Amino acid sequence: MAQPLVKKDDDRDDEEYSPFLGIEKGAVLQEARVFNDPQLDARRCSQVITKLLYLLNQGETFTKVEATEVFFSVTKLFQSRDIGLRRMVYLIIKELSPSADEVIIVTSSLMKDMNSKTDMYRANAIRVLCRITDGTLLTQIERYLKQAIVDKNPVVASAALVSGIHLLQTNPEIVKRWSNEVQEAVQSRAALVQFHALALLHQIRQNDRLAVSKLVTSLTRGTVRSPLAQCLLIRYTSQVIRESGNAQAGDRPFYDYLEACLRHKAEMVILEAARAITELHGVTPRELTPAITVLQLFLSSSKPVLRFAAVAMTHPVPVTNCNIDMESLISDQNRSIATLAITTLLKTGNESSVDRLMKQITNFMSDIADEFKIVVVEAIRSLCLKFPLKFRALMNFLSNILREEGGFEYKKAIVDSIVILIRDIPDAKESGLLHLCEFIEDCEFTYLSTQILHFLGIEGPKTSDPSKYIRYIYNRVHLENATVRASAVSTLAKFGAMVDSLKPRVFILLRRCLFDSDDEVRDRATLYLNTLGGDGSVVETDNDVKDFLFGSLDVPLVNLETSLKNYEASEEPFDINSVPKEVKSQPLAEKKAQSKKPTGLGAPPTGPASTVAAYETLLSSIPEFSNFGKLFKSSAPVELTEPETEYAVNVVKHIFDSHVVFQYNCTNTIPEQLLEDVIVVVDASEAEEFSEVASRSLRSLPYDTPGQTFLAFEKPEGVPAVGKFTNLLRFIVKEVDPTTGEAEEDGVEDEYQLEDLEVVAADYILKVPVFNFKNAWDSMGADFERVDEYGLGPRENLTEAVNAVINLLGMQPCEGTEVVASNSRSHTCVLSGVYIGNVKVLVRLLFGIDSSSKEVAMKLTVRSEDGAVSDAIHEIVASG
Amino acid sequence: MGLWEAFLNWLRSLFFKQEMELSLIGLQNAGKTSLVNVIATGGYSEDMIPTVGFNMKKVTKGNVTIKLWDLGGQPRFRSMWERYCRAVSSIVYVVDAADYDNLPVSRRELHDLLSKSSLNGIPLLVLGNKIDKKEALSKEDLTEEMDLKSITDREVCCFMISCKNSTNIDTVIDWLVKHSKSKN
Repeated sequence: MAQPLVKKDDDRDDEEYSPFLGIEKGAVLQEARVFNDPQLDARRCSQVITKLLYLLNQGETFTKVEATEVFFSVTKLFQSRDIGLRRMVYLIIKELSPSADEVIIVTSSLMKDMNSKTDMYRANAIRVLCRITDGTLLTQIERYLKQAIVDKNPVVASAALVSGIHLLQTNPEIVKRWSNEVQEAVQSRAALVQFHALALLHQIRQNDRLAVSKLVTSLTRGTVRSPLAQCLLIRYTSQVIRESGNAQAGDRPFYDYLEACLRHKAEMVILEAARAITELHGVTPRELTPAITVLQLFLSSSKPVLRFAAVAMTHPVPVTNCNIDMESLISDQNRSIATLAITTLLKTGNESSVDRLMKQITNFMSDIADEFKIVVVEAIRSLCLKFPLKFRALMNFLSNILREEGGFEYKKAIVDSIVILIRDIPDAKESGLLHLCEFIEDCEFTYLSTQILHFLGIEGPKTSDPSKYIRYIYNRVHLENATVRASAVSTLAKFGAMVDSLKPRVFILLRRCLFDSDDEVRDRATLYLNTLGGDGSVVETDNDVKDFLFGSLDVPLVNLETSLKNYEASEEPFDINSVPKEVKSQPLAEKKAQSKKPTGLGAPPTGPASTVAAYETLLSSIPEFSNFGKLFKSSAPVELTEPETEYAVNVVKHIFDSHVVFQYNCTNTIPEQLLEDVIVVVDASEAEEFSEVASRSLRSLPYDTPGQTFLAFEKPEGVPAVGKFTNLLRFIVKEVDPTTGEAEEDGVEDEYQLEDLEVVAADYILKVPVFNFKNAWDSMGADFERVDEYGLGPRENLTEAVNAVINLLGMQPCEGTEVVASNSRSHTCVLSGVYIGNVKVLVRLLFGIDSSSKEVAMKLTVRSEDGAVSDAIHEIVASG
Repeated sequence: MGLWEAFLNWLRSLFFKQEMELSLIGLQNAGKTSLVNVIATGGYSEDMIPTVGFNMKKVTKGNVTIKLWDLGGQPRFRSMWERYCRAVSSIVYVVDAADYDNLPVSRRELHDLLSKSSLNGIPLLVLGNKIDKKEALSKEDLTEEMDLKSITDREVCCFMISCKNSTNIDTVIDWLVKHSKSKN
């Protein structure tokens, strides 16, 4: 394809060079004129296209004019019958990706090639055509594509199938009509076709759970030959198992299939099956054994790839059985394997082995690349949070590697880890802060210096002896660049504001900063001196000033940026109150992005950011809801619409002491519409204890940008009121011109029926795990114990009964007691949670099942800190 | 052309193959693709689909190989005509002589195209197609409607043809072949 030919020089083996090295865009564009010659030289043209592709792949960009010129000359090459040249033409058309109104000129030629007798023409023309086509054209060529899917030649069939996968994003309704052909292709003898067909078939059906399950059922009976397709099938199978929910051990559906895959002749299938089994929800030791045997085998394999894969696979899994096998890999020749083995052992190992592993790591830390070092640092961070008692050894290790050479990402990972340790382990605070101080004495990264200074300003004043940090901070004012100097000034001021005893000395230092060469540094020093009362009087800094200087900004920065951009300089000063406080994007999405990376310096220092925290910030930014008190619980989003409807709406229930707020997350999936004044109208006639108190509509909801509207209800304080709400989405819809993106002036009012929403008792109970249930149970005492027995009626098995009660109560199962041994006749399950009003609740459930009638009886014992709460739990079960 | 010269041409044609390149343009549904088919194979079909983009066809007539660029006539392709007319031996402009409504559009597109400096001096052949229909214009009327008299900077010729009945197709081929020679 576009790979530059690489020639080896005989004399110097290590030096390779490309024949295209140093070619220039201008010269190649000149050469491209040969495309217009009346007598085409196919060989020459191919070479020129190769050069063009080389340039594009090297990151060279063509201007619009250049690209257009080249594109139209290239289209003239369709006259040549040279197969090699035609292939290059396909490639360059894809690579140039000309604008839609130009590229259409090759449609007819491609359609001709698509029906050509040459297989290579057919396959490639399909790929290019699907890349450039639009919906209307697609219906014209649909017939040919369907034929191509079942083409005898695997290359052609694969091309059509892969194109189908791409087209599914833009034209799902058309691709869905190809199901029959795709299904036929799944049975193909060619491995490639089978793989692509299976992927497409699954994508077509992915939103239909039943269809996916059927697909898996029929295919797991055999006929899938391609190892790649087999891997896909294993993934789909585990998805089906996950979604089928009833984690009844023993008769788990498809387990036999997964186990059979462990004996497949392709290693990738074995690995995939082993992973699927280890990741099964509530996997039992018996199910796990064959998978572990396979992994152990791979761990001692002679192929590095297999060893690596097996180590990587044992990563997230509590596969402690493999630890012994992995020990030998610590000294593996392959550094990647060794690093992975050690970090895995760190994550799965126990407290006693920590010291030994740390010694091992220190030995080869200097030999490995930065990316691996980061993996090690992250492993150590999680280890430290797991075994807080070991923090001294781990903190020492971190501070040691912080002093050594390393790139920015690596250093950032270390600093982030130290910050997290300081935050979560109080004993580590003082030593951690000193390590950071030492680090900034010789830190080449401005970003890290400023972040650490900011962090010092928050944590430093709260330590037992804040004065010892001042020297480190003030040194920055002398030694660093302007950015760091400015943050050092802010940090100094924070110390001054928070610690009265330091005030006079801090003011002296700040006054010296007034003579700095940088504007920002001087400005900050002046501001702080004036507002904090630098006139020599030592007074308590009042809260307004502190808020103004160090409080967080209560408007989203994005909104502030837009408002500032729109602000035109005039007599009227910029008013920060005019900045909208609505958060544009969904907090959930933000949360997802956040949770991927560790919460480091960038996150607010009090407590790790959680979903609750994100919701809390969101809700408190809305004035109507600010007086509701502390947020007790936010439910998981409940979908109120079917997937793939015009508008997607889900709702999050926020429970406060005497209020409930519904947060409706709405997404408009129609590009031609703009929705305005979106609000959900709720009929609460089946929820008598609730009365609507406030609502907040969504001013505008453009295509594919999620937005939120809120409704607040008042309810009796502390009472777990339940009820059912019917929802109706009401909005003004405006047509949008898809070409210009502008909405029409006039809109039409419209409504959209949503599904009902229920507030249930479980919404008032937080899932809070306790680590030692017996201790907790005993220390709670029997003062408010309530015991009663219930009949649950006939049930399929005990698992179903246990799950039903857990879901009803919404409490956290402890010590793995939610898993019922297969065929057992009785079971004990323990749950813990926090009831509204912050009352701890512990529950012990004793189940028994009659083997013939399948009647389930349950004994419920509740202990809590409040008798009324214990009664309430019983009431939930009695009424559920 | 003297007898001697004609003899020389004949002699040359025995030893050298001639090549020429043509662009076939005109509004949609004027009959461009049909004309290509008639020239290439002699076949005619009533139901044609609009050309999306271009067709490229090589036809050999006697010792002349003709490269035909048959371009789509829909509005979205008209801006691209010029790119395929550069450096051709002659431009063939096909007009539906029975479609009065579109004649003004056709005239405007033609004159717009000819005003491009890159196409200076390239001979133009205007073909009034579909004379099998009884309402079709006469050659004089078409010349008037298309304002062909105003084109003075190049050789202009106009024929009335019917692809359906293969009327005058030979005349067209003769003219084209002759122009391939005169160009060389």
